[in-house]
Order: sequence, then C-alpha cells, then structure tokens
Amino acid sequence: MRTALALVILLAAAVGLQAVREQQAPLASPTTENLLYVRSPEFMTRAALSYDLLLADVYWIRAVQHFGQTKLSKTQGKQYDLLLPLLDLATSLDPRFNIAYRFGAIFLAEDYPGGAGRPDHAIALLQKGLEQQPGKWEFAQDIGFVHYWWRKDYSEAAEWFTRAGEMPGAPNWLPALAAVTLAQGGNRESSRRLWQELLNSADAEWITTQARLRLSQLDAMDQIDTLERVVGLYAQRAGSPPRTWLDLVRAGYLRGLPVDPERYEYQLNPTSGAVTLAERSPLNPLPSREQPRR
Amino acid sequence: MRAVGHIAVNVFKESVRDKVLYSIVAFAVMLIAVSYLLGQLTAGQDLKIIKDLGLASIATFGLLIAVFIGIGLVWKEVERRSIYGLLTKPIRRWEFILGKYAGLMLTLLVNVSVMTAAFYAVLAYQGWGVDALARQAWPAPPMDPALLAAIALIFVELMLVTAIALFFSTFSSPFLSAVLTLGLWVIGHFNADLRNFENVLESRAAAWLARGLYYVLPNFDAFDIKAQVVHGQHVAASYIGLSMLYGAVYMALVLTGAVAIFARRDFK
Amino acid sequence: MDAISTEGLTKHFSVGFWRPRPYLALEDLTLQVGVGEVFGCLGPNGAGKTTTLKLLMQLIYPTSGRAEILGRPVGDVEVKRRIGYLPENPYFYDYLSAEELLEYFSALFGHPPAERRRRTSALLDEVGIAAERRLPLRKFSKGMLQRVGIAQALINEPDVVFLDEPMSGLDPLGRREIRELILRLRDRGCTVFFSSHVLSDAEALCSRVAILANGRLVSEGRLSDMLAFRIRGWELVVSGLTDAALERVRSSAGVLGATRLGPERYALDLPLTVPPERLLAELVATGAALVSLNPLRDTLEDVFVREVAAAPAARGLEGARG
Repeated sequence: MRTALALVILLAAAVGLQAVREQQAPLASPTTENLLYVRSPEFMTRAALSYDLLLADVYWIRAVQHFGQTKLSKTQGKQYDLLLPLLDLATSLDPRFNIAYRFGAIFLAEDYPGGAGRPDHAIALLQKGLEQQPGKWEFAQDIGFVHYWWRKDYSEAAEWFTRAGEMPGAPNWLPALAAVTLAQGGNRESSRRLWQELLNSADAEWITTQARLRLSQLDAMDQIDTLERVVGLYAQRAGSPPRTWLDLVRAGYLRGLPVDPERYEYQLNPTSGAVTLAERSPLNPLPSREQPRR
Repeated sequence: MRAVGHIAVNVFKESVRDKVLYSIVAFAVMLIAVSYLLGQLTAGQDLKIIKDLGLASIATFGLLIAVFIGIGLVWKEVERRSIYGLLTKPIRRWEFILGKYAGLMLTLLVNVSVMTAAFYAVLAYQGWGVDALARQAWPAPPMDPALLAAIALIFVELMLVTAIALFFSTFSSPFLSAVLTLGLWVIGHFNADLRNFENVLESRAAAWLARGLYYVLPNFDAFDIKAQVVHGQHVAASYIGLSMLYGAVYMALVLTGAVAIFARRDFK
Repeated sequence: MDAISTEGLTKHFSVGFWRPRPYLALEDLTLQVGVGEVFGCLGPNGAGKTTTLKLLMQLIYPTSGRAEILGRPVGDVEVKRRIGYLPENPYFYDYLSAEELLEYFSALFGHPPAERRRRTSALLDEVGIAAERRLPLRKFSKGMLQRVGIAQALINEPDVVFLDEPMSGLDPLGRREIRELILRLRDRGCTVFFSSHVLSDAEALCSRVAILANGRLVSEGRLSDMLAFRIRGWELVVSGLTDAALERVRSSAGVLGATRLGPERYALDLPLTVPPERLLAELVATGAALVSLNPLRDTLEDVFVREVAAAPAARGLEGARG
C-alpha cells in the first residue's frame, strides 16, 4: 500500500529530525532576568485559575531541568539564578510541595559550582515552607542542617535542631544532636548522623545520591586521618617519612595500597606526610575543615 | 494539478468574503497599535513590549485563523453537501485536499503579511526621533530583520497547525477537531518538558513512554525563536533551516494522513 | 458499448457506533443503459435510487459488484470529463454567484477563460437564470438552485448526464422547461439517467425504466413493453341508457361500475372477462347509443404500486430474504 509506506517513511523522517534537532547546539538563552516573565508568585497564583497544582508541577520540572542543565554546562560564569524563582513559584502554587523545599535546601545551599551557593536562599525557602506547615520538623531540621553544613554556624544550627526536636513526630535523637553541635561544633559524627538521616528519608534518587556522596566523603576524611597517623608513626620509627605506600606495606603498617571509597588510590606527599585524594576521585572536593564560624 | 490551484483560489475567495476573518485581522492590527501605547507605560522597556506583543499577536491570531478555518475546510463541504458537485468534476480526491490546504495557506499568508506590515509600521514609528544614546540601550534595532526570521518560523508553525486541523476535519466534527488540534498544539509547546520527565518520574516504563511521545508528537517549540530575536541574540541559520525542514516533513506526514482518510470516505 | 452498466452492485452501510448493524441500501443491482437512451430510475423514497447514483459517481464505494460508464470503471478521472451530475437538493457555495460557480467548475475541466465565459453565459440562458447571474447563491430560491444545479451538470457538454430528482422544487412552468431540456439533450445524442418518484415525468420522457424498492431491482424494461398489451379492461361510454337498462346492466355479471356522466349518459367499467361487443349489442337493442369504447391500460403508477407492494421487505436482517 503506497500510502501506508509513505506514512511510515514520513513519520520516521519526522522522528529522525527531532533527534537531530536535539543534538544541535541549543539556542542561546537570553539574559536570564528577562527569561522568567512571571516572577511574582502572587500574580501566578491568581492567573493559574484552577490549574495551580499542574503549573506547580511544570515549574518543578523546569527547576530540575534548569539545575541539571546548568550543572552539566561548561560555559564560564554559568548561573543558577533561576533556581530560586522557579522553586518559589512551584511552592507558591502548591504550598505543600515538600520535595521542592528539600531540593532547594540541598542544591541552593550547595557551594558553587555544584550548586547555587546561596544558603540564605535555601533558608528563606525552607522558612516559607515552615510558615505553611509549622509543625513539619523536617524543614526545621533542614534549616539547621544548612546552618551546620554550609554556613558552619553551629549555634544557629543547634537552635534549629532543638526547635525541630520539639515539633510533633520529631525523632528523639534531635535534641541530643543539638547538644553535641553546641558543644563540639563541626563534629564528624553529627555530620554523618545528619547525612545518614537524609539517606534514610530517601524522598528521591537525587537526595540519596547526594547523601551517599557526603557519607563517602566523611569516610574518606576518616581514612585520611588514619593514614596520616600511620604515616606519622612510620616517620617516627623509621626516622624519615615514607616515600610511597609500598614502604608502609613492606613495613607491615598496611596490607595493601590504600584506596578511597570510590576505589581511587590515595596520594602520599613524601615531604609533608599529607595524604590526599587522587585528583580524579569523584569525592573531590572534600568538605573543608576550616574553623567554625561564630 | 491545475485543479489544486483553482480550489485554492476558491478557498481564498471564501475567506476574503468572510466577515469573521476581517474582524480577527482588524483586532490584531488594533492590538499591535495599542502595544505602542503600552510601551509608553513601561519606562525603558517600550521597544521590548512592542516586539513581544507584536510577535505574540501574530502568532496567536494566526493560530486562531488556522484552527477555526482549518477545522471546517473539509467538514463544511461534506455537511452542506457542496462536495457532491465538486468531487464529480474531473479532480482526484487528493487534489481536493491539497487545494483546500493551499487556499488556507494563501489566506494565512495574506493575513500574516498584513499583521507584519502593521507591526513594522508601529516599530518604525517607535524608532522615529529617538536619540542615539537611547538607541544604544536597545539590544536590537526596532526594524530588526531578524524579526522576519521569527515571523517566518511562526508561519511554518501555522502551516503545521493548519495541516493538523485539516486532517481532523476530514473525519470529525468542528468542535472535536478544534479540541484535538488545540490540544496537540499545547502539548507540542510543552514537548521539551516531556523530554525531562524521566528525571522526575519513578516508573521506568512511564519515562520511556514520555520519551517516545517527545519524539513522535509535533514539537512546536522548534518554531519559537521570539525570545532570542527580541533580545538581539543570534540564531544560527542552521537552526532555522532545521526547524523549517522538520516542519515541512511533519506537514507532509499529516497531509498524507488526511489524503489517505479522505480517499476512503463514503459521502452518504 | 453501453453508456452505463452495473453488475451485482451492492452497498451495505454500518449503522450504529457501538454495535454496528448492517443496513442494506442496495442489493445486487445489474442493469445496462444504452447510448442515447433516456433512462428512468424509479422507486419510493428510500428505495436506493440516490445510493445508485452516488455509487455511479463514486461518492460512495460499493461493498461488492462493479459499475462502468462508457466502458471505463466508475470514478476514473477521464470518465468524469464526459459526464454531468445533478445532486438531489443541490447546494453549492453561498459566497459565489451563479456565474462564478459555473466559471469555477468550467475551469476544473481545463477550459480557457474565454471558453468558460461562453459556456457559462449559454447555460445560464438555457436554464433561465441569466438575470440573476451576479447574485450570490445564498440569495437563490430552491427552484433557482435547481436550475443552477442543472446548468453545472451540463457545463462540460457531457455525453452522459445523471440527474437526481431533476424536477424537484420547480413550478409547473419550470418542470415543462426542464422536460424540454431533457428532450433536447436526448436529441443531441446525450444519454440521460435520472431518478425520480414522480411518475408522470418518467412516462413522458423515458424510453426505459427500472423500478427499485427496498434496495432491490423489482422491474426493468422498455416502458412500452411494461405498459403495452396489458389491457386490463374496457371503458364503454353509452348514451340513452334508461334506468331499467341500467339496472339490468348493473346486475349482469362482470360490470365493475357505472359512472354517470350526464342525463342517461354513463361510462361503464368492464373487466377483461366481459366482451364489450355482446354487452353493446344488448344495450343497443334497448335503445342506447355508443359514444366511445376505449381499452384500459395500466398506467405506470399501477405497475409501480403493484411491483413495490410485492417487493421483499427485509433489508437489515440476515437471511430474511428466504
């Protein structure tokens, strides 16, 4: 049947062209402050008529897409500046869009270039969520988390953990965590606790991926501490620091070449005795061990 | 082949004598003129507003014309029985379909040209007597030829919408055709979002379905370079060419479908 | 070569969306129409006449069977160049004038512009709407539309013309004009195939007829064959019939009726079984006089009613033909 054949060929051509189009360089994005026409959530909630939830979903999908594309993009000076507005719109249209708040919490706060590098935005978004749902301890915990991990403001973090701990349904280790934070600041155990908690809550794949990354990084930091101690021990006993890992293996301090949780070999600096991650390890960059902010 | 031309001319005659069409075009022209006034209110964004509103008007009113005439193209003839007189003349059924399509294309071309002329008139007026300093602030000149590229792509989009409306018109009533055509148009504009569904969907099967639909459904977003043109950003000729090629192939697909359905129909 | 021939032409429609049932519009139609004939396709409403015409125009496709016009399959574009068609209750394009419509259709035949104008003018005159040529068709009455319809059917000077209810919507003067037009077409050698449920037109024009009922062909043949030699009785008109004689006539066997035409003047209706000569002789003996003696033949209407009544009725049910 000639017509059927023509139809099949044309459909294949159309699909093919769509695929080709996908491959071509995307259109230059206009300067972003002009791209999002509607920035006012107040306007949008009125204009959406009865489709608010649907529109919230659309904005959510665009937020994720914007984040993903910007993260993967190789352009200089790329910006995540649409992330907050899009999440703001999504959560204004659907105030109970919990996953949007949590996404914001993690990726707005995350240091540039992995994220927007704006913990203040993350906190603002979470506070908006708390206004809508005052009893949601997860948001309070997340605010505390942002203060803890990215702003290194341990007293603020402790206060928020306490507040979260007082909300209905909160887990019972939160007050204890607050106390530890207040006392010891950037304690690695507490950090591990928080990320483990996030991993367990497992709202979405990107949360678990991020949590796993952090936990691996914490493990790596522990391993580095141990390795540096071993190196120090060797240097004391042998009189000079080891030149390579083999020295330590031969001396019986190690059973084999040490690798990080992602299976990349640790690098030993023979002069300083410092141990670092391999350059290509995906665990780079490790969270900083700078002094806590007061 | 001659027959296609005669039928097309007849469709054009019908639209020219249709008062509804005049109202639509008049309204569009009025809106474009009004955009000049709106521009005065926006302190510095006046050129942008005129360009945005002008392009949006051309696209929207063109869409209205394409859909509301397109859905009746075949249906009206069958319903009113005028098709009996026409099909018994020495024309083939596919010539009838193509003739109707070409006629509506001609109508759209004339209407879009009229709106474009009004648009450029307003732009020219806007650009008149503005000093050099203010000019520098504009990302693109008022009478930017790149606007024509945007309008050309809008026209390709309209051609595709018309083909779809005509396709539905060969077998369903106007109301249903309008709903289906507009529905496809809306989905086609959110096509890019379909692509990203797999990022947010839990089920693999659903994500594959979304991906599949993304490839098969008409992607109307491909014809939208309004934002780029208004901000004076360069759009590669290859992008425009590829989009036009895509439009042409998809149009051919839809028209072939329309011809296939129409060829088999009984006209009771 | 026949002008028109069909063989086993059948059309079933599917009625209903959820559980489609078949509807038999036309069943097994086989007939031939010779070149130059005026052929009438008769039948009550819903008999399948319009279906037959649409199958011949390939506006609908047959379920089975074949049809040919001038030796080529129906629907062939070349065939369409040589035929004309008038649809039932024709409707064209409101926004065009009669002149524009005819010129449009003429253009579809590939006639150059001057030729289009000539043909259009000639036809508008022939069907009698020359005065309204510039008026948009939306302003036309039914009768005027009918005339436009006939005009567009003849725009290409066809060899075979198909008319569906050509007299519909016309006043008596109009009907006579169209009747004459059809006869003119016949004289030019054109074959005319028309469908109608008005029998007097058929009687006046046709050389052959077919009668359809309930989707089937129930009778077909030359008009003269169908009507001739089928004398069903006599009409005897006598004058000077006394009441006593009338009584005797009435009571004698066979006389079907007596209609009084005037004082002592009666028309007697006799069946075939009563030989008119003997009765006449008796009446003359009583003093009556003969005015006229006419054989009574079946009219087409009688044939029609009889054949239609006898036609098998079932058209939607399986196996009901028996």
